[in-house]
Amino acid sequence: MPHPLLSVEDVSKSYDGFKAITNLTFYLFEGELRTVIGPNGAGKSTFFDLITGRAKPDKGKLDFGTDPSKSHDLTELNEYEINRLGIGRKFQTPSVYTEHSVWDNLVLSLKGPRGVFASLFHRLDSADRDRLDEILKTVRLDAKRDWKAGLLAHGEKQWLEIGMLLAQEPKVLLVDEPAAGMTDDETDRTGELLLSLAGKHSLIVIEHDMAFVKQIARNGQVTVLHQGTVLCEGKFDEVQSDPKVREVYLGRGKHGTR
Amino acid sequence: MSRTPVLSPVRTIFLILAAASVLLVSALRAAPAPSARQLVAEAALAEDAAKKRELIGRLMGQSDPAIAPLLEAWRTDALFVFTAPDGAKIPVQLTGEKDPAGTQAAARIDTGAPLADAAGQPLRLAASALAAVEHTSSLRRAMKAVLDLADLAAPAPAVRIKAILTIGLAQDAEKLPALVARLGVETDPGVIRALRESIAIARLKDADDAVKLTALGELRELNSLASTDFLTRALKEAETAEKPALVKAAKDALRAVEGHRSFVDFFGTLFRGVSLGSILLIAALGLAITFGLMRVINMAHGEMIAVGAYTTYLVQNIFGAGITIPFFGFSLPIFGLNLTGAAYQWYFIAALPLSFLAAALVGIGLERSVIRFLYRRPLESLLATWGVSLVMQQGLRLMFGANNVQVSSPVYLSGNWTVNDIIFGWNRVFVVGFAILIVFGMWLVLTKTPLGLLIRASMQNRTMASCMGVRTERVNMLTFGLGSGLAGLAGAFLSQIGNVGPSLGQGYIIDSFMVVVVGGVGSIGGTIISAFGIGGIDQVLQQYLPSIAPGLTWVPGIGSFLQNLAQDAAVFGKILVLAGIILFLQWRPAGLFVTRSRNLED
Amino acid sequence: MSAATVRRIEWIAVAVIAFALIVLVPLLHANGAISNFWISVFGKWLCYALLAISVDLLWGYTGLLSLGQALFFTLGGYMHGMYLMRMIGELGQYKKPIPDFLVFLGWERLPAFWEPFASFPFALTMVFVVPGVIAYLFGFLAFRSRIKGVYFSILTQALTYAASIMFFRNNLLLGGNNGFTDFKFILGYKLNEPGTIRGLYLATAVTLLLVFLFCRWLSKTKFGLVQQAIRDGENRVLFSGYATAHFKLFIFVVAALIAAVGGALYTPQVGIINPGEMQADKSLEAVVWVAVGGRGTLLGPIVGAISINALKSWATTAYPDLWLIILGGLFILVVLFLPGGIVSIPARLKALAQKLRAKPEAAAPAKP
Repeated sequence: MPHPLLSVEDVSKSYDGFKAITNLTFYLFEGELRTVIGPNGAGKSTFFDLITGRAKPDKGKLDFGTDPSKSHDLTELNEYEINRLGIGRKFQTPSVYTEHSVWDNLVLSLKGPRGVFASLFHRLDSADRDRLDEILKTVRLDAKRDWKAGLLAHGEKQWLEIGMLLAQEPKVLLVDEPAAGMTDDETDRTGELLLSLAGKHSLIVIEHDMAFVKQIARNGQVTVLHQGTVLCEGKFDEVQSDPKVREVYLGRGKHGTR
Repeated sequence: MSRTPVLSPVRTIFLILAAASVLLVSALRAAPAPSARQLVAEAALAEDAAKKRELIGRLMGQSDPAIAPLLEAWRTDALFVFTAPDGAKIPVQLTGEKDPAGTQAAARIDTGAPLADAAGQPLRLAASALAAVEHTSSLRRAMKAVLDLADLAAPAPAVRIKAILTIGLAQDAEKLPALVARLGVETDPGVIRALRESIAIARLKDADDAVKLTALGELRELNSLASTDFLTRALKEAETAEKPALVKAAKDALRAVEGHRSFVDFFGTLFRGVSLGSILLIAALGLAITFGLMRVINMAHGEMIAVGAYTTYLVQNIFGAGITIPFFGFSLPIFGLNLTGAAYQWYFIAALPLSFLAAALVGIGLERSVIRFLYRRPLESLLATWGVSLVMQQGLRLMFGANNVQVSSPVYLSGNWTVNDIIFGWNRVFVVGFAILIVFGMWLVLTKTPLGLLIRASMQNRTMASCMGVRTERVNMLTFGLGSGLAGLAGAFLSQIGNVGPSLGQGYIIDSFMVVVVGGVGSIGGTIISAFGIGGIDQVLQQYLPSIAPGLTWVPGIGSFLQNLAQDAAVFGKILVLAGIILFLQWRPAGLFVTRSRNLED
Repeated sequence: MSAATVRRIEWIAVAVIAFALIVLVPLLHANGAISNFWISVFGKWLCYALLAISVDLLWGYTGLLSLGQALFFTLGGYMHGMYLMRMIGELGQYKKPIPDFLVFLGWERLPAFWEPFASFPFALTMVFVVPGVIAYLFGFLAFRSRIKGVYFSILTQALTYAASIMFFRNNLLLGGNNGFTDFKFILGYKLNEPGTIRGLYLATAVTLLLVFLFCRWLSKTKFGLVQQAIRDGENRVLFSGYATAHFKLFIFVVAALIAAVGGALYTPQVGIINPGEMQADKSLEAVVWVAVGGRGTLLGPIVGAISINALKSWATTAYPDLWLIILGGLFILVVLFLPGGIVSIPARLKALAQKLRAKPEAAAPAKP
């Protein structure tokens, strides 16, 4: 068995006495697409916060890298250092630079040097432009490239943020509820896009929409979080039929499979 | 006392006792000897200057309250000799109003009774028609000596203590017997202490080593702060004279006094720290509500404080003679109640609720007209309220003038309370008590009243609260009014401590913000701790910086510069506190107590 | 109107203003149409425009409302002032080789740190070094601990306050309350001669143009994009791999240097520099200029600084009692009703005109 790309071992985090994450252990392997589900307050967003350096764990280990001798301890790095290692994040509520054009949003996200002086004398070369054009086509914002991002519709902002994530070319993509606010058609396409990224990239997708989860968890594992810890892990069907999961999450069929 | 070089201790004590008993007896005995008035009258008539001096000298140590005004009148040419039709010369003083003819009622010096003619009718005399009793400089010196001693018997203990210490610190051996005599009759413990201290200090100059030793022992026992210089001098003398016993006693005494001084300094600093902390707390509490709970940066908070202070000033004038306020060309006369005495003293108590109300109303007006449009834009609210602060400052200036106005202290806030050499100013003690009271009151409002519940609910989750039917608009208005009212209350108190002028608030605004930021925005408990922390550190720095200033010279390049600066303890202390706050925020960026938020941009 | 047309109009406006300030005003002064007094006043306003640009670089472009820019302005002024004080030589009241206030404080010889200020290049270097280093140290600490928003504003105000109470002390040996004044020479030229006055004005106008062009360039680079992104969503920038603290520190130091240059040019033209210039109110006044002119634009702060100061010099003589009320009221109104400032008025009018024209065709959806 290969060494995991991302190892989260026995991690806990509490806010003012509220235990958001308790003794969580989680591994992500290279090229994997992992779906994380769980009821509200299960600690899904805190889980991402811990990986991206937004919050520091009270205890536990967070390591990144397939080579154990060269892996990085994420607890010692801050947000931008973690991002530079190749961990990109899409937030739950779309966060784009509202005053910038769609194009500039992507320029800011494009993989490349991030220093102050590099940015002063930065110029886009033709390869960069081609790459950005390609991304614009992928996220179908080609026609709106000069629009202010703040003027986009909710779903378009979600797409733009996915595009920004792509422009970073990260090793790991953390995607928080990508389908929220999208039409069925858009949701479908988002699922296809995420599936196509798996293999080249590793992904963790948090999602509520069960139809969407079913679509993207076709081949991969599903992790169920409950009260800040892993309730169970397995294929979508296994998880769905797990009595524990049915009780806490799918419970009494209310959420069902929409 | 005695200049004889060799004098046995026994004899000295005997002499002291003898002198004491003589003075004691002369002070207590009244009837057989001529009264003070009679002596003055006799002196005024005496032909010979030496005789005059001698007679005045006999007043020495007498406690008759008539002495001081009589001698004062003499020295200021207000003592006259009236020659009666029968040729008898009678020294008199003129009293009362002048009538159109320029005459006044006359009183006899020797009895104090009105001067009457042969028929027993009171006489009226004109000053211009009489000759003032003359006085030479040596006579005036003699009078001064008498007056110094007369104060020893003054009715007010504070006056007695002052006179006693004056004599003691001058090491005036000639007046020593008077002090000793007074010690025998004095009952006030504070005055007794001053007497013992002064006698011992004066005796450090005594030629007799045994007397000196006793005096040194006494000073050690008394922990007399005033004696430091004298002890140092005595130590030097003893060292030159190579008298080991004296050297040891002087050293012991100095050590005791120095120890006591650091004790006094420490507790004095502590008290000043606590009172400064209370001032900061009172000034910052309103801000802890508007900034801490509502996240509104009210740069006009300082002017709310000023509104409270000026309200106090207005109330004081209403209790007094009234005031006329110019307002954009109009004059607004405000009538006074012309109260006096105890009733007038109530003005400050009346001003407290009014200051609160006035500032709260101004605050509510500000909230309705400006701030409510800016709830989600903190930087803009900062700027707009700064504009408000400019307008209010200038408004106050136009109404009350650019200069500071006089707010007097009611009697119950003036004066000091000295315990073991540590001075507690009443106004400061009151501020500390008031800070405790106001914190308690605020706690009650926030936790025990429906308004408090609404405030806390809306501040935690505005949207949720409004969904639950809370009228957040109204809650915002009232909360802002409460915060502003607290600022006004602070103003009423600060009027007792500092100057009241149009830019009064500017002096407190930065400190108040610092207190809230260090305490943790949104945490009232943090505000309290940080106010006392900042106040305490500031006072400690002010107390001890000058003593470490010389140690700063080692800093390369700017050593002498730093040393210069450290001499200005108040300013340098303040700068160090601000630098400390910036460093503190490195460690705890959100202040002492963090109220966590989980939004991405917050 | 296309974006290109807008840009062309903007450039024409810049060129016209630059021509008026750099060519026209000095020419009019040379032939006597503008007096020495007024050209110095214009010079002062342009110095204030530099200060306003420094405020706007931080507030308008990066979202950092610094209330400490007057400090850097004044520090620049003091550094240059120290050189000018040394140039007085023995022409002071006391006819001594050291500045008058030092004589007054009982000094016989020049304190060591005053020595090198006889050299203009040294003083010029210090104009940049002192404010730059202070901005760097403060910015480093503030941005490292992620102090932002109003906290940053309050702390910068506290910094300014601390510095001002320090400069008010005589012990600092920088002139105390009175600061520096009675300058006589600069670089060997007499300060009261028309040629020198014109030269100083010209230097200020050219500096302003260069700073304007620099900021213009900066805002168009990727740095400018990051800067404005920090303003709109700092955390997002952080999660895109940018060390926002470094960007903020860089722009904070740059803004301090611009303010310092403004201060250095201010001192000889106004003839006095004292700690009053660095009080908290002065920084806030500069913020008013920017707010009124239009923040987040580069022309805005210049327009704001000049128009408010022109208004001030009229109002303080016509209605001295009301000036602060006018200033405060203006500020409140702009914050509440005209967040874009003066430079946004044409666009607003255009939008209004469009709306009025569109009204007859009622429900025509406005395309962005």
